[in-house]
Amino acid sequence: MLPANPELKELVVEASRALARLDATRLEELAHSCQALTRARNREDPRERGLLAQQAQEAKADMAVFARVLEATRANLKVMNRLRELRAVQLEYTERQARSGAGAEDGHGDH
Amino acid sequence: MGTINSALSLTTGALDADQAALSVVANNVANANTTGYTEETPDWQENQPINVGGIQVGDGVTETGATSQRDRVLEERLDQQQQLASASSTRLTALNAMQALFTPDSGSSSATAGDIGSDITSFFDAFSSLESDPTDNALREQVLSSASTLAGDISSAANSLHAQSAALDQEASGIVGQVNALTGAVAQLNLEIQSTSPDSDAGTLEDQRQQDLSQLSQLIGINQVTTENNGLSITTTSGQLLASEGQSFQLTTGTVNGVTDFFLDGTDITSRLATGGGQLGGYLTARDVDIPGALSSLDQLAYGISTSVNAQNNSGVDGSGNTGVAVPGSTTGAETLDIFSPPPTYAANLAGGGTDVAGAAAAMSVVMTDPNQIAAAGAGSGTGDNSNAVAIASLAGQTIVNGQTPINYYSNFVSTLGATVSEVETENTAQNASVTQLQTQNNALSSVNLNDEAAAMSKLETSYQAASQVFTLLNTIMASTLNLGVETAVS
Repeated sequence: MLPANPELKELVVEASRALARLDATRLEELAHSCQALTRARNREDPRERGLLAQQAQEAKADMAVFARVLEATRANLKVMNRLRELRAVQLEYTERQARSGAGAEDGHGDH
Repeated sequence: MGTINSALSLTTGALDADQAALSVVANNVANANTTGYTEETPDWQENQPINVGGIQVGDGVTETGATSQRDRVLEERLDQQQQLASASSTRLTALNAMQALFTPDSGSSSATAGDIGSDITSFFDAFSSLESDPTDNALREQVLSSASTLAGDISSAANSLHAQSAALDQEASGIVGQVNALTGAVAQLNLEIQSTSPDSDAGTLEDQRQQDLSQLSQLIGINQVTTENNGLSITTTSGQLLASEGQSFQLTTGTVNGVTDFFLDGTDITSRLATGGGQLGGYLTARDVDIPGALSSLDQLAYGISTSVNAQNNSGVDGSGNTGVAVPGSTTGAETLDIFSPPPTYAANLAGGGTDVAGAAAAMSVVMTDPNQIAAAGAGSGTGDNSNAVAIASLAGQTIVNGQTPINYYSNFVSTLGATVSEVETENTAQNASVTQLQTQNNALSSVNLNDEAAAMSKLETSYQAASQVFTLLNTIMASTLNLGVETAVS
């Protein structure tokens, strides 16, 4: 579990890990944490804003990793979509073959 | 800041484009624009030869055949990602070993720590100390001692890099036998599959072939091309044929300029294998790019310091009142008051006006044995003068190494190496994550159950969308906090 007020770096690292294992639930939790951070950012407290700036600086490298993992996931998703598309076409063809085969047999029986 | 800016910008752009794509997918995958999709996805383009689903449909393939075809495409994608991950992992190991050479051990002396940066400072500081009393023998000995430490650490680092290169060379050579065995096995399996199951899934034979391909992908970058009757051709990622139908083509090795090169059908394909992926790609990139780059930087540093310091010392007056002169009969360009040995290319550069610095680091050593030969005094001055010691100490702040001061040059070199390590580490983490995702998908899709397939796809899509949301939020926070894209003190 992340602490109640996780540091930005922890959020980013956890997001990469969750995406690697396709843990959508965890990613949604992290999205909520990010929204909380956004609220903190909007506060006028200069100390908190300074702290966030420092955390952002420390999280830069991990953000680059997250960006790369996201790109890889996008590529994987496209491959999987393409596979599903192929699968749909092939199933459709098989069903058509089965139907025409059954029709031919019926016709044969009529004679 | 360039790296993260580029990465964020790339990904943000991709996210925008994906919103539309995901909507299309969610509504009707079958209506996706196949042609455009292929053009937009390089990875998929590489898989294009596998895309014989259309042909097989025409041949009347069965549903079982379709499932097999689907898995093969996914497995090839998995193999491609594995090749990249293997290459970056192997390269990262080599880079970490390189970086360790330039990371001082905490708490140990600079001589054992290999802290070249601190050695440079100590060496020039020793001349600064000598300025106070040029006749003090202990201060003169301190100059020679710090020179020895500097030369020793630079030559030691260079020799360690050479040793690492030799070890990588050996590892790379060792892979060839495994690659040849696997391509031979794939060729044999091709024959068996084509004779037993030319029109349908060959079951365990195809499993064996896939297993061989997965192993091959760990070792070397390959492309797979399905051929008629369930056959398979394998090429390197740059297109050289490794196996076709029942025939395999053996990789061979030979020594070229002291290192192992790799040949296929008489053609040297070493540089193409280096960029191709797999462990071999990682070994060759480290051996032929990373290590030579580091050696070249060290050579430049050694050459700049040695020649500048020698020239300045020879121009002064030593403790016995002598000025440096050319050593009679020397073929190395040596002069009598040299502190460091002249670099191997020094004489040729002097004669021909060249700038070759090769070998300077490994050969760096201190040749001066008598501290009295340190020329602290300026020309025309008495031996108690310190003006030449001042001049040598001031070299620390002069651009004597490829247009930079010695310490700045070394710092930049170490920073660049660190950035490379970090970049490869990032790549490797992302590639491993991608491999994990694909393995998850592959496991889920091993069933022919359409519900399972839909569930696996849904998991991938939902995770991607949730991650996109997280990324967008984080990107907004980071951008506004760090003022990304604007030159500021923090960026």
